[in-house]
This record gives sequence, C-alpha cells and structure tokens, in this order.
Amino acid sequence: MKKILIVDDDPNIIDYLTSLFEDNGYSTFSACDVKEGLEIAGKEIPDLITLDLEMPEEWGPRFYRKMCQEKSLKNIPVIVISGLSGGDHAIGKAVAYLSKPFDREKLLKIVKETLQ
Amino acid sequence: MSDEILIIDKDTSHAKALGIYLERKRMEAYMASTCEDAIVLFDNISAEIVLADPGLPDMEMIFLLKRIKATHPKLQIIVMVTPDQFDHAMAELKHDAVHYLMKPVKSTALDMALYQAKSWISLNSRLKANEKKLKTFRHTQNLFQQLFDEVPCYISVQDKQFRLTATNKMFKKDFGDEIGSHCYAVYKHRGSPCQECPVADTFEDERPHTTEEVLTSKSGDQYNVITWTAPIRNGDGEITQVMEMSTNITQIRQLQDHLTSLGLMIGSMSHGVKGMLTALDGGIYQLETGLEKRDKERTDRAFGQVKQITGRIRKMVLEILYYAKSRELRYQSIDIAEMADKVVGDAMAIAAKNGVRLEANISPSMGFVDVDPTWLQAALVNFVENAIDACTYDRSKEDHIVKFDAFEIAEDRICFIIQDNGMGMDQETREKMFTLFFTSKGSQGTGLGLFIANRVIRWHDGSINVESEPKKGSRFQICLPKFKPDQSKMIDIPGKGLEIEKNEADNKK
Repeated sequence: MKKILIVDDDPNIIDYLTSLFEDNGYSTFSACDVKEGLEIAGKEIPDLITLDLEMPEEWGPRFYRKMCQEKSLKNIPVIVISGLSGGDHAIGKAVAYLSKPFDREKLLKIVKETLQ
Repeated sequence: MSDEILIIDKDTSHAKALGIYLERKRMEAYMASTCEDAIVLFDNISAEIVLADPGLPDMEMIFLLKRIKATHPKLQIIVMVTPDQFDHAMAELKHDAVHYLMKPVKSTALDMALYQAKSWISLNSRLKANEKKLKTFRHTQNLFQQLFDEVPCYISVQDKQFRLTATNKMFKKDFGDEIGSHCYAVYKHRGSPCQECPVADTFEDERPHTTEEVLTSKSGDQYNVITWTAPIRNGDGEITQVMEMSTNITQIRQLQDHLTSLGLMIGSMSHGVKGMLTALDGGIYQLETGLEKRDKERTDRAFGQVKQITGRIRKMVLEILYYAKSRELRYQSIDIAEMADKVVGDAMAIAAKNGVRLEANISPSMGFVDVDPTWLQAALVNFVENAIDACTYDRSKEDHIVKFDAFEIAEDRICFIIQDNGMGMDQETREKMFTLFFTSKGSQGTGLGLFIANRVIRWHDGSINVESEPKKGSRFQICLPKFKPDQSKMIDIPGKGLEIEKNEADNKK
C-alpha cells in the first residue's frame, strides 16, 4: 500500500485528506508543522507528500529545502495544497500546485498518476 | 580719545595749575570759573568727571552740581574745598560727590580720587553692556521658550536614563507635567524601556532617528505619532541629552484605517476563507461517505466539523458585512437568558476541544431585553472565544477555566461577566486591545473581533470594564441597558455608525 504524508496546520484539513486518501486505498501519516513532518518523513519514507505553504513557525518551502538535503527523502514527489495566492512558484519542483479549496477528483487523479 | 574733565573753580590760577597737571596725565581739561561758564562748557563737552570747588558759602554752585548729577547720574563729581568748608560741603552734597579733597589739592590725593572715579565709570559702562546683553538674552530665551511651547508637536528632552528633563506645553497638556519621570512610563504606561527606542539609538550612534509609535495620554486616549530624535551636546561636544519631537497623526491614521480597512481585511482574511472552504469541503465529504458507509462515528464527527466551520464562516461574513455596509441596529425584544445559553452552547465545543472548562451561571430572571440579537450574540461569542484562546495560549498552568455569568445588575440594566485564568494581558495590550487590527494572537488573529465587539457594546449604550494581569487571567464586565435608548438622541457619526450623542451619554454616566 502506497504511503502519503499530509503536512498542514489545520486539523480539519488533515482529517479531510486522511479520510479521502484512506478511502481510496492509500495509507496516511500526518504532521501539523515542518518539524514533525520531517521527523515522520524520515521514519516512514512516504511515497508522496502533500504540503501546505503557510504554517506557524516554519513554512512549506523550508520543509522542502530541508527534505531535499536528506538523501532518502529528496526524490519523494510533493503536491502543494495551499490557500496562498501566487504560491505556485514557491516550490518549483512540486509535481502539482492545488489552490484551496481544491477539486477532490483532480487531487486524486494527480496522486494516482504520480504514484503509478 | 583722551578723558575729558571739567574743572570748576573761582580761583583761576588754582584751576590752571590743576589743568596743567591733568593734561600731563593725558586728560583734556576744561576750565570754568562761574556757574554760567560751567553750564555752557558742560553742554558742549562729554566730560564724565567734574572737579569742582562749590564756592561756599554761596549756594549757587551747590545747586548746579546737584542738578547736573540728577540729570547725569553716571557723572563722577570730585569736590575740592578748603578745610573750613569741608564739613559744610559734605553736608550739602552728600553722595552726589564721589570724593572730597582738601584744598590745596595734593597730587597723590587727586590721582587716587581720579582712579576711583575712572574705575566707577568703567564698571558702569561694563554694567551697561552686560545689561544690554542680558536684555537680548532674555528676549532670545523668551522667543525660544515660545517656539518650544507653541510648536504644534510634542517635544521632550531626555537624559541617558530616559528621564524627562524638559517638556513643552502640548506635551504637558496631554501627558502631564512629569519632569524626572521615565518617558516609557509617562506615554507608554510601561514599567521598563521599550525594546525599540529612537532615543537610545540616537545616544548610541549620535544620529537623528524616526519611528512611528502609539502613545497613551494621561486620560487614556491613544495617539499615533511620528517621532524624530536629535542629539543635544554639551560644551565639549558630548551628547548628554536627546530631544524627541512627535507629531500627532492620529486623524490621518484613522482616515487611512477607514479607507483601507475593507481592502486590508479581505487581503488578510482570504487565506483564512480558503482554509475554511476547504475544511467545509472536507466536512461534507466525510458526511457523504459516512452516510454511504453507515459509519456513525464518521458521520457524527463530520456533523460537528460542519457546524463548527459554518459558525466560523458566519462570524467572518458578519465582520465583512460590518465593513461593507454600515447598518443600523435592528432592535428586538428578546429573552436574554436564552441568548446567553446560545452563546455558551456555541463556545462549549471549542472549549472542550482545547481542554478548557466553561462554566456558565445564567440568571433565568433577567427577562426580555431590547438588543440587536445578531450583533450582540456575535460580540458576546467573541469575548468568550477570546477567553478560551487566552487559556489555550497559556502554557504556565494545566487547569484552565472560563466563567460566564449573566445577571440583572439594576432594574433597567443587565450585566455579563466573562472571566478566565489564562495568559492575561500587560498594560500595553490592555490599552490597545480594542484598536483596529491589533492582535496578540499572531497569524491566528485578525485584529477585528474585539474592535467590532467593543463597537457593538457602545452602539447599545453599554459599557465594558476590563481587569487583567499577565499569567493570572482577565475579567470583562459588560453592562447594557435593558431598554432601547431614545432614538432621537442617536446621531450618525461618519465612519463610526450610530452613536448616542456624547453629552447625553455622559449625562447618563
């Protein structure tokens, strides 16, 4: 079963994405900030990460930079899901940028294609 | 120019001998033997010393000398008389003469008398020059004091310990005459120096600095000011004090606030709105799939989420509406205990989620009260949620409680008390908490909630009393009249909405 890590500071959105991915046959982990996200990513080595940009303490691009410094994590595909206007340039190498509120079917399609 | 001297003596040969002696001393001597000659000569020369024999017992010369002395007080008169007239001459002329010499005049005695007279003249002229300088100095000082006092800015001078050493009239009017007190205590109501201080920067780098500050006057009003500082140096060029000059820009800021608040609010809230819509999507998805799968736990959780997010969206939309359109209060007579129950019910879920106990004590006998239920309920929820937030952010204790009391305080007045044992507020936060866009919650706050809540209470002709202490908690007491204020006394204040005419409100207090 493919593993997805959800990084977002809003517990309601974590809950939503967890149900959505698990209902579609993926296993999930979640983190509400950058520090926790990096810890879980290092331990579980997920197949895909969904990343929010605006979070307290450190923001999404910092997570991405730190993640790319780890050999075991740097090739994991990242999907940015954020409410930030113009955030699509924040992480150039992201496989997709979805603006909140996002289209559920579109997200599932991108996840499916990325993990194939 | 040589010194001129007038010699008056009937004995012309004696006068001549004196003249020759004095000319040798580089003085220009003029001689008169009668009163008439003396008058003519005195008017035509600029003698500052007169050497005269009053010619007693004839009194004519005595009168002349007295008259000249009266009109020329700086004139130095040296009298020379025969020994038998000495006492008589002194009795008549007294202090009008500076010196009395015995005839025949000896050169040593004359030299001494002249030396004294010249010293007096020199002292007199120096005194006169100093008097003139003093007058100019006083005039200049007066001018600068007027400039200092009348300039339409706050000016203060501070020493290295940030103590006020001088303040101008406008400063004294708004902040009191607090010479010797610390600046941060006088206009920031703080107990310690501010972290960023233009005065400290000027002491350090000896250059002027500019900042924008919010000051609190002695009456508690808040002023936005632009502050400039400049060093003041002593005679050795060392900076001993710093001058701080502040211009009150409160009105400009208020105008800007009104003009830009809508745009700013939408900008700052767009991220929050997007997050809420996504969470709402999530809630609906969970609800749909929960029903499909007949998963009761998921369905119940989803219901809770949707309810909570709908409440958040409702609150935000109300706040946006408040700005988009100023509206009049829509008074209704409602059962206030029922509304208070709703407020507590709305906040209960958030309190439970954050591990905060919410205790309500609502008196059932408050009866019906005239209020705008939409706005008042939103304002009360705001106060309660703020109390819960204050507990959530407080890491210093484990056990947190918010108490909500509602009761009738007088026959025509009700009271709500919202009390928490959360993080509390320092004086600065307490003073600014009702200011537009002021928040102590970082990115979690918009700075709108308490600003609007305060307005709503004021609209209802109510009052808010706040007590708070850092790390101990806060207590908000909100009192409202039970009956609608007289509409004829309400006036529409541009940018502020409907308010009771000030005098009327003051009278009620």
